[in-house]
Amino acid sequence: MLNYFVVGKPIPRVDAIEKVTGKAIYIDDLMFPNLLYGKVLRSKFAHAKILHLDTSKAEKFPGVKAVVTGKEFATNFDNPLVGSPLADQPFLAVEKVRYIGEPIAVVAAINQEIAEDALDLIRVEYEQLPAVLNVEDALKNDRPLVHESFNNFRCSPGFKPVENSNICCYIEITNGNIEQGFREADFIFEDIFTTHSTQHVPMECHVAIAQFNPDDSITIWAPDQSPYGGQNLISAALKIPESRVRIITPPYIGGGFGGKLNLSGLMPIVAIAWKTNYRPVKIVLTREEEFVSTTIRHSSIIKLKSGVKKDGTIISRYAKLMFDTGAYADIGPIVLGKAATGSLGPYKIPHIKVEGYCVYTNKAIAGAYRGFGIPQVCWAYESQMDIIADKLGINSIDIRLKNIVEEGYITPTEKQEAHAVGLGKCLIKVRENMSQKGEGKIIENRKRGKGVACGYKTAKTPSGANAFVKLNSDAGADIFVSSVEMGQGVNTIFAQIVAEELSIPFNNIRVLPADTNITPFFPASNASRVTFYLGNAVKKAAQDIKEQLFKIAKDILQADKEDLALEQGLFFVKKEPKRKVKIMEIMKKTYPGGISILGRGTYYQYKLGSFPSHVKVEIPTTEVWMYASQGVEVEVDTETGRVKILKVVAVHDVGKAINPITCEGQIEGGVLMALSNAMFEELLFNEKGKILNSSLLDYKIPSALDMPEIKAILVEEAHREGPYGAKGLGEMVAVPTAPAIANAICDAVGIRIKDLPITPDKLLRALKNKCGDCGV
Amino acid sequence: MNCLINLKINGESYQLNVKPNLLLLDLLRYDIGLTGTKRGCDTGECGACTVLLEGRPINSCLMLAVEANEKNILTIEGMAKDGKLHPLQEAFIEKGAVQCGFCTPGMLLSAKALLDANSNPQEEEIKKAIAGNLCRCTGYTKIIKAIISAAEKIKRREQC
Repeated sequence: MLNYFVVGKPIPRVDAIEKVTGKAIYIDDLMFPNLLYGKVLRSKFAHAKILHLDTSKAEKFPGVKAVVTGKEFATNFDNPLVGSPLADQPFLAVEKVRYIGEPIAVVAAINQEIAEDALDLIRVEYEQLPAVLNVEDALKNDRPLVHESFNNFRCSPGFKPVENSNICCYIEITNGNIEQGFREADFIFEDIFTTHSTQHVPMECHVAIAQFNPDDSITIWAPDQSPYGGQNLISAALKIPESRVRIITPPYIGGGFGGKLNLSGLMPIVAIAWKTNYRPVKIVLTREEEFVSTTIRHSSIIKLKSGVKKDGTIISRYAKLMFDTGAYADIGPIVLGKAATGSLGPYKIPHIKVEGYCVYTNKAIAGAYRGFGIPQVCWAYESQMDIIADKLGINSIDIRLKNIVEEGYITPTEKQEAHAVGLGKCLIKVRENMSQKGEGKIIENRKRGKGVACGYKTAKTPSGANAFVKLNSDAGADIFVSSVEMGQGVNTIFAQIVAEELSIPFNNIRVLPADTNITPFFPASNASRVTFYLGNAVKKAAQDIKEQLFKIAKDILQADKEDLALEQGLFFVKKEPKRKVKIMEIMKKTYPGGISILGRGTYYQYKLGSFPSHVKVEIPTTEVWMYASQGVEVEVDTETGRVKILKVVAVHDVGKAINPITCEGQIEGGVLMALSNAMFEELLFNEKGKILNSSLLDYKIPSALDMPEIKAILVEEAHREGPYGAKGLGEMVAVPTAPAIANAICDAVGIRIKDLPITPDKLLRALKNKCGDCGV
Repeated sequence: MNCLINLKINGESYQLNVKPNLLLLDLLRYDIGLTGTKRGCDTGECGACTVLLEGRPINSCLMLAVEANEKNILTIEGMAKDGKLHPLQEAFIEKGAVQCGFCTPGMLLSAKALLDANSNPQEEEIKKAIAGNLCRCTGYTKIIKAIISAAEKIKRREQC
């Protein structure tokens, strides 16, 4: 094991001091001279034609400076549509609304109150249309169409929707011979699982400030996970060069979880900024708007058919996935692709067929949500894994160990060689850290059980990553990257990487906020890819500086480069350590007039040749997988159906924990989020497509009173390409929790819940039915 | 019709002419410029806007500025004294209790109110004290550890 000086150490976060003193700046803290405030008028119907829109009274309201409608903006910009891989969404609805909450018009006024009052003066006449509100209905022959035509959509290769249907994207993956796989099986298991819609609920609501400039460029300040993604979408939609769209992120973002990607939910600000005569305009979403108009997690129906040998070896699987993507594609087709490739689980299954449908409905738009389609399929395959283990009488950890992917195995969905597979170690650590049966007091009507689940997820490939590092004359450094600090701790680990490479003090290193005019390209802080891809670029940029310093140091110390070493900010001759010079002295001696030393780093992974040719839609393959296993202990109250989570053991293979304390923090937080997604949270839609629980009072996220004991354990199976061996983590923490809970409940009371969320009423009903069956 | 109010915020006196419907949260953020107090829901459910009013935690999004007339208010900006961090702030840094940081100011102030009233809280008492401050990042584990650690720090310092 290499001995690092800062990497791998539980160093306190570099941003913590600003955050505990109230000095940390988020977008809503920014004040601009001449700032206007925008408010958005939203659709009241799930599906309707806009017959007439009258904004004249709002325009005359004192204090209102501009009003924009979809039609006006669309006419001026030649019907711009936003989205990738499928541009299908207008900035504001034009002729038709497709979900409740869809933006129709925006008012800008000198303050929020006036803007809000003016919204009431806008008159909209609708003609209601029949709406389609679930995927099964949406796939029927006589269903209404959410989009009548796809002709004017801009589609990336392979992402064309199915004409005259609500199918936004269809994916099929095959390997081996599925029929043979089922013929050779001793047992066939067929189950249907469903998952529900949830909201990200970041503590900071979506917010942005936008300003058109006299040179026809636009600047947007937004807490966005993908400044370059937002830039690309606006540029493509408005047909203006990318360099004329500047996205600036704040120093800090109040939580993202996938919901703050590609300016989703914020595009109306572009339309109103175009009308304000170059005055900046700010839109802050209310918590209610946050619930109804920003992206949500795809609900899904997943049919699994698995063929299994007597000894527990899974040899075949058919999976049919139906994902509800809502009124517009957003990133739904990519989510479906990830779910389809991930639907085998981390298991060696030779004969497969996966069919995936991403389906339009007249509901809130589904997009990226921590785990990106994998929590849905993991819910299905890990629940079914326990059904199989139970039927065959095999221990639930043993059956997983028997089937898991090993180093060098070629995965049938990505056609890639699995590498750095720490999953076996994770499973064994879960076993070691779970309580023994019979521990704790047993009370009548309270049954205890244990459950385990595991999962895997790829970090997105291709991912280009650039970084600049600027070494200052005081041996401090600034890092220029387009990742964003949204709580995950990226600024801290990048400072650690630069401190490690240059052996300069960690506290003198800062990461600048992303700004598409200043910081170099990175696609997005999503997909758990920042550490692996951008971490590599940052490391290379620091090494570039180190190379330059070595060249100067060898002249100053009059020694060959090979004879020099750098430790603790000091260059010295290895054989004569007294011949030494500090980094700071090097800079001062060489450049008495002052200078910065600049380092560049690029890391790029794109294996075009290894695209699986049998995949009908182009799904980028991957370089890196993350693995995890979680164990859950529950106590079920059979009189009330309430489930108490006693303990969660979460073991994650991170490759290398650059900062173990931030890794642990991600695991603890992610597990509670996943637990809450599984048991407390559900966006409820009524029969008209309206979200009924659009407040934190009605949509519960956990408080401190809801937390169980969470034991976070790190496994480090180093990746050959990762910086110091590191992989990724943030999404994986939310993957196996739900099925582990369901498996524990089944262990406790023999009830198999196949539909999320696991609520007391659902469980109680199942318990009563079971007692009815057995005549108790 | 505006109202004239007198407030003490972080030990400093202010006399302000405010609209009767101005929220205390907006007064702090926009009139005084103390943006450490955060807006998360506007309905008193998330706790991001928590400040201490006469030492007790309140949701500043649910209180009118005029209701705070003649009161002492502590915001996150006033928690460190003379450039020295409060033991809770130190402990939040040391224990890794901070992630995105949006709930942190409110969380720290609720924790301060608890420790000011109860120097030796049990874990369940801590959970109850911060139950009104929602956090989506941390899972609360390290926040609770930090509050326990801060209570111990305060005790140790008092014994010295």
